[in-house]
Amino acid sequence: MAAKSKRQQMVDLAVLAPLDWIDERTAFVRGTKWFLFRNVPRDISWGQTLGSAALTAFIVQTLTGAILALYYKPSAAIDPVTGKPVAYSSIEAITDELTLGWLVRGMHRWGASVFIILLFLHMGRVFLFGAYKYPRELNWITGVLILALGMLMGFTGYLLPWDQTAYWATVVGINLNGTAPFAGPWLAQFLATGPEIGTNTLPLYYGLHMLLLPGALIALIFVHIYLVTRLGVASPPWSTEAAGRERPAAVPPAGTRAGLVRGSGGD
Amino acid sequence: MARDLGELNREEYARYKDDVKKDGKGFFPFAMWHDTVMSFVVVCLIAALAAIWYFDADGVEPGLLGPWYTEPADPGTTDFIPRPDWYFYFLFYLLRIFEWPETVFIATVGIPTICLILLLGLPFYDRRRERRPTHRPVAMVAAVLTILSMAVLTWKGATAKEALGSELLLLVPSWAQEQGFADDPQAVAGAELFAQTGCLNCHIYLGQGSGSLGAPDLSEVGQTNDTEYFVRYLANPAAFGNNVMGSYSYLGQDNLEALGAFLEASKGGE
Repeated sequence: MAAKSKRQQMVDLAVLAPLDWIDERTAFVRGTKWFLFRNVPRDISWGQTLGSAALTAFIVQTLTGAILALYYKPSAAIDPVTGKPVAYSSIEAITDELTLGWLVRGMHRWGASVFIILLFLHMGRVFLFGAYKYPRELNWITGVLILALGMLMGFTGYLLPWDQTAYWATVVGINLNGTAPFAGPWLAQFLATGPEIGTNTLPLYYGLHMLLLPGALIALIFVHIYLVTRLGVASPPWSTEAAGRERPAAVPPAGTRAGLVRGSGGD
Repeated sequence: MARDLGELNREEYARYKDDVKKDGKGFFPFAMWHDTVMSFVVVCLIAALAAIWYFDADGVEPGLLGPWYTEPADPGTTDFIPRPDWYFYFLFYLLRIFEWPETVFIATVGIPTICLILLLGLPFYDRRRERRPTHRPVAMVAAVLTILSMAVLTWKGATAKEALGSELLLLVPSWAQEQGFADDPQAVAGAELFAQTGCLNCHIYLGQGSGSLGAPDLSEVGQTNDTEYFVRYLANPAAFGNNVMGSYSYLGQDNLEALGAFLEASKGGE
């Protein structure tokens, strides 16, 4: 084996050795290679970027949401300084006073709508391509669950600014749930933390919006992406070079039937 | 010999894997490049929406994309227009269609639950191998109808105004004139509450509202009972054998008395 240059030895020591160390224990490098260096059908194009676009919107939501969580206070008590609810005052402070707070809050607010729109577009694309069929049924089911949880995120996040819009939209939302047969009254009681929205409601929605729902959503997104990577992306069904297309049965060379071609007999 | 569906599916998928392996392109860098460009567009779009929203509005003053925030939440006020976020407008509008209490749960819980079950079950009841849209007429017609009805319901929900309190409020002076309670401030306050709290979603008053669904016309209700009775009734309709109407006790005693005064003053006009 040829002696390595000094430079090569340095690279080995600083980069490759730690990576090997990690990979030996976690298969992280192999996993990344498996994710990145796989083939996809040659005929896929922009239509198949909607899923990763939705993922991007979700990442924007996670990052902006984490920053907002540092400054937001989920309390409906009246702030003695401002004379307004604590939650409302903290939203005011984030929007008006915090450096670039308006951008973080604005991106979180509008990112939610963009996320939902992209989920619907992605779902429409998958439906059009028939890509929910074998073997990708579970991709579809996890996707539908992600959409449902995304809408629940929208519902629980809407209350947090604790302004009139937030409050009354949530009142309506809770009343809607309350009309369900059997579970309705219980559900409404749970969502309002009592017969009516009160001081406990805001912490409940904050906990659901920050902890429970995002946790479930992130887990589902991981499963979804794992399945997409494992099973592969479907070709557009109308593509003439679609991966997995039916091939016409090979036409036997002329004369085969008559046994005139050598080696064709006996079939 | 006809082969079963599972076998055909597995063969097709085996062909797919084979084709992708031999003939595909690398996810990295080709597909990932598209994804990166698209992600960049998405982030720019979100930031642009945030900027338009922020710079066009000022505090509670709405701009093109609405205000930064509305007034602080106040359970005591009633001059609100409850609006969910846009992706719940379809539900909001379904509620207008199924507004009579016995049918409300169809809109609020029934239809969304059925939709969710249909969506989740799609790969299990649509089991044909065919993926070309032109060869899936039922799926395509169903998709177009779903998109159309969602779009129409969302649009109607966004532009709905028939029962919005702020607009019915404009009718209060004419009611006061017709019923002759213009110089009774308590009754006028009650009339404003009546307009704002959605009473006309079910009741009729002087030709306004939607009484076709069975709730009584209240234009002359003042001939039957007095303020004290109406206050007790509004606080607990169930105690009067009315299991359809909900309680309005959340409005508070003062507001209920104003409503009662308004109803007592409603004698049907001249």
